[in-house]
Amino acid sequence: MTEVLSPLTVDDAIALLVEHDEAMPLAGGATLIAMRNASLVEPSHLVSLDRIAELRGIDRTADGTIRIGAMTRHCDTAACAELTGSLHVLRRAAGMIANRVVRNMGTMGGAVANADPAADYLPALACCDATLEIAGPEGRRSLSIHDYVDDWYETALGEGEIITAIMLPAPVEAPSAYRKIARVSGDYATASCAMALDPDGQGLRVAIGACGPGPLRDRAGEDALRGKLHDPAALAEFAGRLVALADPVDDVRGSAEYRLRLIPRLVASVLSELAPQKETA
Amino acid sequence: MMVKKVLHSLTLNGEEVQVATAAGATLLQTLREDLRILSSKRGCNQGVCGACTVLVDGTPVRACLTLTARCEGHAVQTMEGMDGDRVMATLQRHMVQSGGVQCGFCTGGVLISARDLLEADPTPSREAVKTALSGNICRCTGYRTIVDAVCGAAEELSQ
Amino acid sequence: MKIEGEFEVEAPRSEVWDRIRDPQVMGACIPGCEAVEQVDDMAYRANISVKVGPIKARFNLLVEVLEERPEHTILSRTSGEEGTRASVVTSDNVVRLCDTDSGGTRVDYAADVSVTGRLGKFGLGIFRKKADQLAAQFVENFRARLGVTA
Repeated sequence: MTEVLSPLTVDDAIALLVEHDEAMPLAGGATLIAMRNASLVEPSHLVSLDRIAELRGIDRTADGTIRIGAMTRHCDTAACAELTGSLHVLRRAAGMIANRVVRNMGTMGGAVANADPAADYLPALACCDATLEIAGPEGRRSLSIHDYVDDWYETALGEGEIITAIMLPAPVEAPSAYRKIARVSGDYATASCAMALDPDGQGLRVAIGACGPGPLRDRAGEDALRGKLHDPAALAEFAGRLVALADPVDDVRGSAEYRLRLIPRLVASVLSELAPQKETA
Repeated sequence: MMVKKVLHSLTLNGEEVQVATAAGATLLQTLREDLRILSSKRGCNQGVCGACTVLVDGTPVRACLTLTARCEGHAVQTMEGMDGDRVMATLQRHMVQSGGVQCGFCTGGVLISARDLLEADPTPSREAVKTALSGNICRCTGYRTIVDAVCGAAEELSQ
Repeated sequence: MKIEGEFEVEAPRSEVWDRIRDPQVMGACIPGCEAVEQVDDMAYRANISVKVGPIKARFNLLVEVLEERPEHTILSRTSGEEGTRASVVTSDNVVRLCDTDSGGTRVDYAADVSVTGRLGKFGLGIFRKKADQLAAQFVENFRARLGVTA
């Protein structure tokens, strides 16, 4: 038996989450209602966030920063024309989540809050250096996506806190892409890779998904790789550093060992899509 | 055990209805158990199989993952309300002709997804049909006859 | 699901044995253990809460010692249910102690765990990660209990 509450403001939603011990915030429901149907969670109250205007829409601010409201559905992110160049990776990731119908339901805030290690947004957002806007009983705060995942399914979100928006730095003209290896179309990733090139084409940003509690990102390794994207030894060393950071699970989607082997291949294949090596005669 | 019921108002197949349903019920539960709308099937109850797919405000969603409370003031459409719909009627005829219906459990969801595709893309490629139906699982047909039916219906409708 | 591991403590084997055979000590070291009740010399009951993300599970377990070879091996079976009997858990466990060259004790443990019911629907891969974390936390608590750091 779950009571559904539908507050109209963020403050009211937080007050309800604080008031009821066993309450959970409900975004699109694509995961949480499935979990409730399977009796994996038994909330006394679901605080539905769908009537809160502040959580909706994608906006570009004066300085070019893009703000994605937490309740933005995957289908709207996948179709968002603002997500160009370096942010195209996020559009691609959104378009690969589950299937058309589920993309009409699931939201970015909900997916990020759930922090499934094999889901698609976290690596894409880590690649974009996104920032999360969070509201809670103690007020509002911003948090870098890199400081967000603490452990398997554990995040920096405290009791009564919700994500209100995802902030993305202004897009720059540089190619970016997302690729996932999955058993069938629409499944969670066995492993995934989000990548964006630097505008000068000399460096890159890479985040690997489904190979640890949170996305893997090695910024020092990225710096070391600058200018050497087509040096096979340097690229192998960089991929090796990502493998060393990985801590994948063994599950039905693949063994831990298989996932480790996918990482270098994913990095190489996405890089060859974004920066095809020039043929040397 | 006493089940607490909550009253909700929504538009179902063009008619205003008031329904008393269990607190926290999914739209699938309310449709099947309280409104006796049976075209939306309970398959996995996890949003994976697609057999419960219905339209809310014209957009296909999983009834098993949608809370009835969220449909308050919104328009829900199921197969039962599509009798006069030309696209749906054509799809249904082609599904029967091509053998796209065997046990029939997935058929309602398949048709809702297929209709949504044809509204967005009246002349889809076979690949586009497969992609659009990737969230609808069929255990009988092997899908080929379903894809044939959707492509056949698209062809007829675009003439 | 098999869970295996080993750790060393700088304490003599007889002392480690006594602590491992003491349900109250074990209860204080097992992360999430809320209550331990000795049933008899060879069995105890324990309530253990585990949380993985939004999923909270509270296990009501019976631990029975099946066989012991004093000061080096314990075979035990853990069984019980979780929630309102929504999941059933059983685990066959082996713990072996042996002396280290430095006068301490090495503990080898292995458990064959099976989970059916609602928790069985959740990925076992994550359970294994969680089990490894709980084991690491246990070792830390156990060492602290023995008053040693490593």
